[in-house]
Amino acid sequence: MKGYQVSEERTREIQKKIGESKKIVRQAFEKFRPSEAAITWTGGKDSTTNLWIIRQVCLEDNIELPHVITIDEGDAFTEITDFLIRILKRWNVDLKWLCNFDVLKCCQSHLGCLVNVEDLNEQNQAELKRIGFEEDSFTFEAESYAGNHLMKTVVLNQFVEENNIKALFMAVRRDEHPARKDDKYFTKKEGGHLVPEHTRVAPILHFTERDIWDNIKLHHLPYCSLYEIGYRSLGARTTSNPMEVGIPAWEQDLENTVERGGRRQDKEKAMGRLRKLGYM
Amino acid sequence: MKNVILLTIDTLRKDVLGCYDSKSNLTPFIDSLQGSCIRFTNMQATGPYTQASFPAILTSSYYLEYGREKYLSPKKTLISTVLQKSGITTAGFHSNPYLSDYFGWNRCWDVFYDSIEDEVSEEVPYIKGDEINGKVKEWLSSYIKGGKYKPFFLWLHYMDLHEPYMPEKKYIDMVDSSIDLSRGEMFNLFKETLLKRDLSDKGKVELLKKLYSVHIRQVDSYVEEFFELLKKIDLLEGSVIVITSDHGDEFGEHGGLSHDGKMYSELINVPFLIYNHTQTRGRVSDTLVSSIDVPPTIVNLFGLDREESFEGHSLLPLEEFPERGCFGEAIDKRSAHEKETDRPIYYYQNKEFKVIYRENTDSWEMYDLRRDPQELNNIAEISPKVDRMKEILRPRLGRWLGKE
Repeated sequence: MKGYQVSEERTREIQKKIGESKKIVRQAFEKFRPSEAAITWTGGKDSTTNLWIIRQVCLEDNIELPHVITIDEGDAFTEITDFLIRILKRWNVDLKWLCNFDVLKCCQSHLGCLVNVEDLNEQNQAELKRIGFEEDSFTFEAESYAGNHLMKTVVLNQFVEENNIKALFMAVRRDEHPARKDDKYFTKKEGGHLVPEHTRVAPILHFTERDIWDNIKLHHLPYCSLYEIGYRSLGARTTSNPMEVGIPAWEQDLENTVERGGRRQDKEKAMGRLRKLGYM
Repeated sequence: MKNVILLTIDTLRKDVLGCYDSKSNLTPFIDSLQGSCIRFTNMQATGPYTQASFPAILTSSYYLEYGREKYLSPKKTLISTVLQKSGITTAGFHSNPYLSDYFGWNRCWDVFYDSIEDEVSEEVPYIKGDEINGKVKEWLSSYIKGGKYKPFFLWLHYMDLHEPYMPEKKYIDMVDSSIDLSRGEMFNLFKETLLKRDLSDKGKVELLKKLYSVHIRQVDSYVEEFFELLKKIDLLEGSVIVITSDHGDEFGEHGGLSHDGKMYSELINVPFLIYNHTQTRGRVSDTLVSSIDVPPTIVNLFGLDREESFEGHSLLPLEEFPERGCFGEAIDKRSAHEKETDRPIYYYQNKEFKVIYRENTDSWEMYDLRRDPQELNNIAEISPKVDRMKEILRPRLGRWLGKE
């Protein structure tokens, strides 16, 4: 981030925001034991910031770091995988890689391959039924409706259930999307069929995209090299694109352009709903 | 200057409302507004489902203007764009995936909530009307805080009448306590009867219609809740509220269920009320108007100049409205799912007749709306007026070819 400057005023603002985040983390630790909590870490800028803040609190208060998990959707950027491996060593994190191997087995790990629903194990079949997916097969793409559910939601739910997790630290931010505007720091997720009850904690909810970069600069946080070449938001490899090719994320017009413009998730959410109404 | 609120209710048939002569008493609140409304009895949607009708309601254009568009064409001008340019605050709250950010409907709204990021139930994949009211309440309360604020245009849309019909017990008991179905049974009616367009069991079709009626009652109470909110924060007097729907719903009238690509009145004829407009209190108009006239009317209510790209005309003052008949177009599909091979269907109607052209079958239909309001007797082969009607519709067929 050569040449990137953070003013004194902004520095004070960022410190204040970090203070607020730490307060949320401490509140979470009052409610939940570290062994009952998990931190999701994708290797993206937000979840790395989130992990950094929680780790700071743990170091300051002499608390054991909760589980740290990352979800392998079978379509990861090698740059992100490399980044995770590099930083987990540096930060001494015992990272758990979660993956739905059953799905990968059925498509021989190849993107674009057809997965026959009847080849999947019982649980995956039950999960597809639960979300109203009734086709006989689907194409293996990480952010497709069925793929997204099996590769991400299912493995996360399973981890929560098996490890008796009560709290999940997530790196969502209010300014990511207008719909997040009213999100709360603590959200209790009711349990249901195949869905374990847990609380989601969002310590960096009040951070803006600019805050994230200012903080990365101020505290010399590591970041994935993809941000240098124009990516603003990182998801699966085949569904994320740079917003402005060759222009580092922090030099783009963060205030007036859409951060997730290079991503396909919203499409899949809209499509998922239309499918449930019978339109797709 | 007054604020303008557009309240659209998905899938609301006109003939289920008490103020439009339904005897079922499902809409006591909406009916009670009559004294402060101008009510239009002859409002036609431009299409029978969301993608075909909403371009008219929010962009005053026809669905197929630039061909079969998947996303809202950037060439179309949203009402929010026109108003925002003129310094009016624009806010939209809805839960219809076809009108979401992804499909390009989020342009020029100061606040745009499409619920896509929120979690919805597995069975009913949209946010309910009372939650929409909650979002609106939160926004309005903070927006008007302090008393000094720019006039606003607020659009809110309720999805609750849209299948799957799974009304709350409380409303079932209000409408017909003899309905004794579990949620699983209601969902099954959606999956097995409605989605399959299966009309073989009359009892099941009747049951679907009953459940739909219960939702009408439910939506009426959401409208009431919204009006109460406006009253409470002192905005009811200072606002004009436009209420309409994007299309109706079919229960076997023309051999189908739900709302496919057909142009009959149960799908096309929608309610339309303008509340609190001082010059029009308690008035009923049978002027033939179209959803395409909604955006120009809103622009006019704000006292702004006519937007040139809009195809409709302001309905106010009504005396100056050019009554020319209504057009509509959609893809002629016969299930929820649209196939690549499905071709367009078009209609044109004046006060006496409606003519429909189906490209799928290259066939014409014509109905005498006065003698045959149910549109059951096709007179295209025998009416001496058919040529004149076809002549008006024909220039619209395939007019985007080459523009795509």
